Amino acid sequence: MFSASLYIIVCSFRNRVRVRLQRLRQPRYFIGAIAGAAYLYFSFFARFRASRSSVARRGNRPSRVPGSLAAPLAVAPALGALALMIAAAGAWLFPVDSSLLEFSEAEQQFLFPAPVSRRQLLIYRIMRSQLGMLFGSAMIGIFSPPTLGVSRLRISAASWIILVTARIYFTGVTLARARLGASGRTRRVAWLPVSALAIALALVAGAVGAQWRQTPPADALAGLILIGRAADSPAARVVLLPFRALVQPLFSEWPGPYLIAIAGALAVLGTVATWVLLSDEAFQEAVSDVAERRSREPVKKGEPIYKVRSTGWTLPPTGRPETAFAWKAAMQTLRMVDKRSLLRGVIILVCLTIVAALMGQANGLASMLGAFSIAGTLFAILLAPQIVRMDMRQDLQHLELLKTWPVKASAVVRGELVWPSVIITACAWLMLAVATFLAGTMMTHVGLGLRLGGGAALAILTPALVLSQLTIHNAAALIFPAWVPLGNQRPRGLDAMGQRLIMLGATWLLLVLSLLPGAIVGGIVWFALQHFIGAAALVPAALVCTAIVAIEVLLATEALGPAYERLDVLAVERAE
Amino acid sequence: MALSVEHFGRTYATAAGSFTAVADLSFTVASGEIVGLIGPNGAGKTTTLRSLAGILRPTSGRVRIDDYDLIEHPLEAKRCLAFMPDEPHLFEYLTVMEHLRLVARLYGVTDVVDRAAALVDELQLTGKEQALPGELSRGMRQKVVIACGLVRNATTLLFDEPLTGLDPIGIRRMRSTIVARAKAGAAILLSSHLLHLVEEVCSRVIIMDRGQKVADGTFAELASRADLASAGSNLEQIFLRVTGHDAHP
Repeated sequence: MFSASLYIIVCSFRNRVRVRLQRLRQPRYFIGAIAGAAYLYFSFFARFRASRSSVARRGNRPSRVPGSLAAPLAVAPALGALALMIAAAGAWLFPVDSSLLEFSEAEQQFLFPAPVSRRQLLIYRIMRSQLGMLFGSAMIGIFSPPTLGVSRLRISAASWIILVTARIYFTGVTLARARLGASGRTRRVAWLPVSALAIALALVAGAVGAQWRQTPPADALAGLILIGRAADSPAARVVLLPFRALVQPLFSEWPGPYLIAIAGALAVLGTVATWVLLSDEAFQEAVSDVAERRSREPVKKGEPIYKVRSTGWTLPPTGRPETAFAWKAAMQTLRMVDKRSLLRGVIILVCLTIVAALMGQANGLASMLGAFSIAGTLFAILLAPQIVRMDMRQDLQHLELLKTWPVKASAVVRGELVWPSVIITACAWLMLAVATFLAGTMMTHVGLGLRLGGGAALAILTPALVLSQLTIHNAAALIFPAWVPLGNQRPRGLDAMGQRLIMLGATWLLLVLSLLPGAIVGGIVWFALQHFIGAAALVPAALVCTAIVAIEVLLATEALGPAYERLDVLAVERAE
Repeated sequence: MALSVEHFGRTYATAAGSFTAVADLSFTVASGEIVGLIGPNGAGKTTTLRSLAGILRPTSGRVRIDDYDLIEHPLEAKRCLAFMPDEPHLFEYLTVMEHLRLVARLYGVTDVVDRAAALVDELQLTGKEQALPGELSRGMRQKVVIACGLVRNATTLLFDEPLTGLDPIGIRRMRSTIVARAKAGAAILLSSHLLHLVEEVCSRVIIMDRGQKVADGTFAELASRADLASAGSNLEQIFLRVTGHDAHP
């Protein structure tokens, strides 16, 4: 089985590379590859060179860690170990199917009936996942800040051990969870890691609580350092030992300490792998469960799942076709159960809040919320149209069906724009309302009049900005359909990354150009009125600008009608 | 004539140049007529049906549906047409009933509730009205596509392998449905590899091979053709002779 696994991995990799090289014959991929390579060079490799030159200038003296980072870095291993332990405990509380137990349809068809044990299948999946994890750890190495003064290669190696251990551990949790409800010895064995983790967590929480009561932290950073110190206390160190062993290589000096730390991390990896491989019987059941669940699921991996929910909006039998398209997209939004998107949203929100908290400007809940709302508003207006793709970018998948409908082409284009504009604008308005009222706690020098005038003007401009961007994206989907990933597709590769960069750049450039006439006329209106009505002049200026952009969008949808009619279903790339 | 195809051709651009999928195809389908479109894999049947449905643009020739030219008056032509493809493309987030409502709205059908109820019963979709496509079997999805095609009063129906995925009862009902629609006056073009189905329900057959029409006529006409007289009396034997595969067992 080992040689067969290797054969599948090598062949898959070789064929993938060959397909990617072959598609470079097409100009769009070739140009994309050049753009992607240039981006990589200027983003990373130029940084490497700069960092190497700085090392050369320093001679062999170790890099100096900035003073502000010294304290957090000192407790970083303990914090890392604690984070790993929390993630390990979370896996029991928030179960997800392990990716190592997810076999593709082809794998199920070819490997399951083959005379191979389930343990061999698990080893095969672990081997198969290595390419992705090696890439992931290489990325961690590339992105690691040079101030740490640690070789990127060593960071990559250490990260790879953590990633592999985590993946195998999550598989073990999936397998053990199935045995939690068993009886007798099996049950006791299955509950052992859960109980150990619960005790460990209680011990660390006790240590953190004790220190917190003793010296309450002044700010978020001090709180983080306090938690790190508590996790470094003797009792906590003992329970965090396996987690600490995993993160230690990231913080160890070369060569002796690093190699010893790597040996420790590998020992943890070996222990976890042995624990999982010994669960052969459970593995067979779990794989069958996951395979059965997957076979019942209507969608492919990565695609959202929909559930019927009463929406209270029934499509009336008569009316404009644009409304029918808006209704269709609304049903999609309201019925989507996309845990990944939800998780991504939560992560973005948390990151934004942390940024707001660390900005230093935000003191107190109100100002933090204000800062977060400003960031959220900008995100909704400028980035959401790139992310929310419930328009032609998704419906190109259904082009064969759409083309049979007796609907005017420009109405189809307009219909596709309606719902995403409504939903993005609504989110942006909500954020903007909060930002307008709470911004005063942060920007005390900005008066209420200016805040209200600016907020109202931005609220008026929001639909124009959103519609304009969506129109550009939909125009690109109709004119250059092969450049647009369909639905939830995420094409991979240097060339695909380059294509995305070109698309993003072109979208922003066209956005600026489309706003220019409105901005000029709006600017004139503002200039003429601001002497008389002050900040309130922003409102009529925004109204004029929005009206001009609305006319542009209307004209653009009419102009895009023939493009939709000419669009050949064969020009749309079905899958990578 | 409900459906008229004149010198229709479709060429695909390929890396090696171009490939002609269909060349100089002409035929008509009258109201109440069921015409079978058969041919080996790659003969150009699906390309023809997709072009007639307005999905692919013809490279040459004219297609008229109820006297409306598909290129010059696409909206009017499409209103008279219903295409039931072999691969059921449905919106994963709309229920069966919502699919029918959406299609009815787009085609201007106002009495959708009554029509949908009758179709749900006719196509054995009862109890699945509020189900999402993901909860349906392949055969059920195919039935939803057919229901969407039949919910409006199309004068021309195009079926591409309509029986794929259906159970024996479904196949039987579908045959009755197709025949009933023809009796009600619809012009039907039916593509299928199930020659016994074609033989059973079609009054005429068009045989295509490598993008060309190689035979067109009723079974009696084909059987009496001089070059086919020795082939045999059933459609399978005629098909094999016309496409030059009768020498191989």
